Amino acid sequence: MNANENIYLPKPAVLDRVVDDIAEVKTFYWHFEDPEEQKKFRQFRPGQFAQVSLFGVGEFPASLPPSPTENETFFTIRQVGSCTEALHQLKPGAKFAVRGPYGNGFRMEDYHGQNLVFVAGGIGLIPLRSCIVYALANRDQFKRIQIFYGSKTPKELMYLPNLREWEQSDGVECHLTVDRTANGWNGHVGVVGSLFKKPGVDVPVHNTTAFVCGPPIMFRFVIKDLLAMGLPETRIVSTLERYMKCGVGKCGHCCIGVAYVCVDGPVFTYQQIQKLGEDI
Amino acid sequence: MKARIVARADVLKIVDLLRAQGYEVLAPFGGRGRDTCFDTVTDENRNAIQFHLANPYYPPKRFVLPPIERLFKIRKHNGTLQIEPTTKAPRRAFFGIRSCDVAGIAHLDRFYLGRDFRDNYYEQRRKNIFLVNLVCTDPERDIGDECFCLCADTGPAAREHFDLQLMDLGDEFMAVAGTPAGEALFADSIFKKGTEAHVEKRRVILAEVRKRFKNTTSWFPATVRYVSQGKILEKTWEEIGRRCLECGGCTYVCPACTCFTVSDRQSGPDEIERVRLWDSCALAGFTRMAGGHNPRRAVHDRRNRRFFRKLAHYFIQRELSVACVGCGRCAAVCHGDIGMPSVVEMIRRATAETEKIPPQPA
Repeated sequence: MNANENIYLPKPAVLDRVVDDIAEVKTFYWHFEDPEEQKKFRQFRPGQFAQVSLFGVGEFPASLPPSPTENETFFTIRQVGSCTEALHQLKPGAKFAVRGPYGNGFRMEDYHGQNLVFVAGGIGLIPLRSCIVYALANRDQFKRIQIFYGSKTPKELMYLPNLREWEQSDGVECHLTVDRTANGWNGHVGVVGSLFKKPGVDVPVHNTTAFVCGPPIMFRFVIKDLLAMGLPETRIVSTLERYMKCGVGKCGHCCIGVAYVCVDGPVFTYQQIQKLGEDI
Repeated sequence: MKARIVARADVLKIVDLLRAQGYEVLAPFGGRGRDTCFDTVTDENRNAIQFHLANPYYPPKRFVLPPIERLFKIRKHNGTLQIEPTTKAPRRAFFGIRSCDVAGIAHLDRFYLGRDFRDNYYEQRRKNIFLVNLVCTDPERDIGDECFCLCADTGPAAREHFDLQLMDLGDEFMAVAGTPAGEALFADSIFKKGTEAHVEKRRVILAEVRKRFKNTTSWFPATVRYVSQGKILEKTWEEIGRRCLECGGCTYVCPACTCFTVSDRQSGPDEIERVRLWDSCALAGFTRMAGGHNPRRAVHDRRNRRFFRKLAHYFIQRELSVACVGCGRCAAVCHGDIGMPSVVEMIRRATAETEKIPPQPA
């Protein structure tokens, strides 16, 4: 990178359209005003993140759900704090600013020739969506691809059009579950880990990488299940989230144990997570 | 490194030389007791500059890393966003900066300018700074009750990172140049050639000063080892945490603390400024995320954090520099008496207990 570059300088972006996802979650399609910036940003890897600026409110880190193989750039954001609330109020055509991409991301080349198992809970599907779409776009590079995704209720299943598409696709085994059933749901009921034991499901253990992302409680149990099935700690990867101000390893907020999540992560293997020296 | 001798009566002429070169010179001034501070030298106060006094509570860090610094101005105009970076990098010289604080600035250099991303706000300001280090030689006035630079290996005489170093030899000062910019000053006639006797005098004074420290905390290196190996028991951190009042004072007086937060504020109609402010890992909101989840909720987790960040071998290796310079300020300001020297002592006691080797049967 350019030594004189201002590492905190966000670049102006325009909001193109907003699509509702589940309650309190929307997807924001946007592009940089400067086509050169857009081109540079498009070099991102699955699993990286960006810093989103709402001037007058602040800046927040957001995962990048699109795959580099897709043409559009977008964020999927839950309204949870002051910045995300300000973003949720923007109308198409509004200006905000973005800088990035940051973080290590998933190096998908490393998983070529392997089975991929994606395990997500709730909005944990947002960062994994990028990998899934990437893997399906490069389908011949990978062996089996499995998706295990769960939410609290059927209404809280994210990216429904994508899920339907993946369920019907031949190249991927997609299993959904909900914690609590509701009218019209005839699928599986139970925590995400219960999908591993569903009749007809077999999770390959050899030559497999598992991508896990979800709320802490789900994370703990899924990791236990995967380890019990015989997956090595180095083959379980996850992406962590932290309060962040800079995204470039300077502000100090996201440091967990020995790692700065923003520059050393957000993607870590389970083995690395255990060696951080602090609870995630 | 080249050295010269300056007569006591001439030593403040170095300040004049720097001011003539366009530097804003910051020097230590004394009030009552420990009430000392760095302030801008003017024609009026120039003769009140003190050489031997308690090191000010606030390290000169704030002149390289301001407590509040504007990063950009953002103007909203006719539906467009104009983002204009703002940098201020005045030419400044620190006259009489102590060796610990020189090490503090060297640590900030490693941190902000190292690794993949360079902080160009810091870089531009730092480029314009000239450091005149003063060696601590007066055991009564220079060396405080909490100083432990001997142990952190940063003092009493810095070995590097200064432009010019001064040491009081009595009637004269020895000046050592650390950079070409420092050496350029030697062109002035106040700098005279020294003799072997001057070098010997410097050695004798330093050897004597080293013996006069009140607080050496010689377990500092061992503590680095214990922290790095994860040998410190949770109950020791809890004991330390119980004494923390969560005021953040230790981080604000620390010459090597780097954390900041960023905040937007309205600065005019249609104009917003984005500023960064010093932040502190002692404060409960430091790791609190939107929605309220806080991975570091317990006080002792936050205290653990500060000492882990400063002492873990991993970070020392990462920056090739220790984030503790032995100035002792955290010990001087902490109401709960958990400054670095006390923490080192608490860890020593707790570890000595757990590591006790049972007597072997004869």
